[in-house]
Amino acid sequence: MDSKVTIQRLTTVVPGLDAILGGGLPEFSFNLIVGPPGSGKTTLAHQIMFALATRERPALFFTVLGEPPLKMLRYQQQFSFFDFDKINDAIRFVNLSDDFMTGNLTQVLARITEEVEASSPALIFVDSFRPIIPDAGKSPAGAISLYLFIQQLGVQLSGWQATTFLIGDFMSESDPHPVLTVADGLLSLNQSVYRNSMVRKIQVLKMRGQETRPGMHTFRISAAGIEIFPAMVVHADTEGDSSVTGVLRSNKRLTMGVPRLDEMLGGGLPSGYSLLVAGPSGSGKTILATAFLAEGVRLGEPGVIVAFEQTPSQSWIRTLDDIIRSGQIGLINTRSLDLSMDEVVQHLTTLIRKMKASRVVIDSLSGFELAIAPTFREDFRESLFRMITMLSGLGVTVLLTSELEDRYVDLRFSPYGSAFLTDAIIVQRYIEVESRLRRVMAVVKVRASNHSNEIRQFEITDEGIVIGEPVHDYEGILGGRPTRMPASE
Amino acid sequence: MSITDSYREKIRIALVQRAGDVPDASAVAEAAISTWYRVAAQLIPVIGAGGVDVLFNRSLHLTCTAFPWLTIPGDHRDNIALFTNLKERLAGREPDTAAEASTTLLGTFVELLMSLIGESLTERLLISVWEPPSPTSARENETWIAK
Repeated sequence: MDSKVTIQRLTTVVPGLDAILGGGLPEFSFNLIVGPPGSGKTTLAHQIMFALATRERPALFFTVLGEPPLKMLRYQQQFSFFDFDKINDAIRFVNLSDDFMTGNLTQVLARITEEVEASSPALIFVDSFRPIIPDAGKSPAGAISLYLFIQQLGVQLSGWQATTFLIGDFMSESDPHPVLTVADGLLSLNQSVYRNSMVRKIQVLKMRGQETRPGMHTFRISAAGIEIFPAMVVHADTEGDSSVTGVLRSNKRLTMGVPRLDEMLGGGLPSGYSLLVAGPSGSGKTILATAFLAEGVRLGEPGVIVAFEQTPSQSWIRTLDDIIRSGQIGLINTRSLDLSMDEVVQHLTTLIRKMKASRVVIDSLSGFELAIAPTFREDFRESLFRMITMLSGLGVTVLLTSELEDRYVDLRFSPYGSAFLTDAIIVQRYIEVESRLRRVMAVVKVRASNHSNEIRQFEITDEGIVIGEPVHDYEGILGGRPTRMPASE
Repeated sequence: MSITDSYREKIRIALVQRAGDVPDASAVAEAAISTWYRVAAQLIPVIGAGGVDVLFNRSLHLTCTAFPWLTIPGDHRDNIALFTNLKERLAGREPDTAAEASTTLLGTFVELLMSLIGESLTERLLISVWEPPSPTSARENETWIAK
């Protein structure tokens, strides 16, 4: 007889939490939510509680120390998950601060047991503790210490037929509290301030019986509560993933929406490729990206644009605005300066799935880097790599623009050393010909495909980009100051 | 945030019902104190006795402006003495005045609570306080008073 216990998993509904937990909270698990003050512990606990508690699965929320309950209720009800109808119905609050103040922790423990036995809750929360409290001198003789109290509470919480949570600040590197060993699950929250930005992170340090998503995941607290952005995982080998190979191996090529450019790319951009369009400010990168999206719309291939740039009211940008407004292209527009790459990718992935998009534009990497919280900038290149891998895993074709500093002494395609990350590169430059600035464009690479090696002049007109003839008569173009070659007879 | 007239009316009716058909001042005082027991019984589990104490003392302080005779000097930490004192003061007035002062005191308390945790949650927590008394609800939580 196969008598293995089946562990039910509770879906917390907290966005991203179930994913990092590896599929939800195991029923009857004893969990710790730890972190310093202000890291979002009580908010997370409330959000889980309001999502899970029902009349059939009631919750008991003990408040011990921490913020006064009046304040807790005042602030927590600002969140949209706070459901007044559940109070004193599916959810009951029990304040123990008065018992706690007496210093007799044996009695506090007895109170908790008594309340739990009286109402048999399916969910129990105890908020919150710090194991080291200076004023421990009040304990009456025979009463247990706070240290021992937490340990005993932990053991008791594990024994009840309930999914339980102990909330507090137990993480001390020098002296980890023994309750950490008792717990089945350990969620650690923290917030870090770097320069002018604040970043919140959550980590599942332990969750018995299931595979959790490793690493630090960023999260944000908004009016809707906590939203976690699971860190991207790039699998070592995506070859076996049919969703990836299916698209990448297809011979389909996408048209760019710019006459002659498809020809330069060797017949269009291979589907599933990532293309970097690099060029100096004003060279026409956004216009090229817009044409790419507009062409997609024309052919019934929806697109998504992540815009970090200011949008001036050019006719081409207006075209883009019109398409976005008509709902044929999804827009992620952000002016925030404390994003994490995972947050952007999360939103992007959701939008791509929703729109069934096959074309994605990120305009531009320079703006993207600015929008990323400073603490993540060091890892920008690595994150970029993961993002591009993720996106190609989704089967979309990505166009990234990158501002290129006007330098004529060396040939660079991107300031991030990200050129190798993409499958194709188009570079745009300004050249000086007869005391005028002219634009040129060349296809530098298209992985595993023939492509043109010509440097062609182009102009930006009201109709968009018009690519002209190859620049035959000049040399030294990429140096910025071409010289006319003597006419060959 | 000030409470609505209808909420104030709800408080007044609850007091009148508890005070009986032809109330004298001591019946009004008795009704007021028993209502406070019910308020405390509902709120102590949620916000703690300390929280209720703070709100009650603040309400009393605010109500004393309109009813200076409610001013109870001294240390308010002893709830038994405080409530005995409050009851005596109410009983020593005309029934109408005692009822008016009790309604104002309870109303101020509710207002204060609403300003802190909002109208919905306050109404939800106190919903049973204003219901007509039933024979089975005689058992009140007196731990706060007995502290």
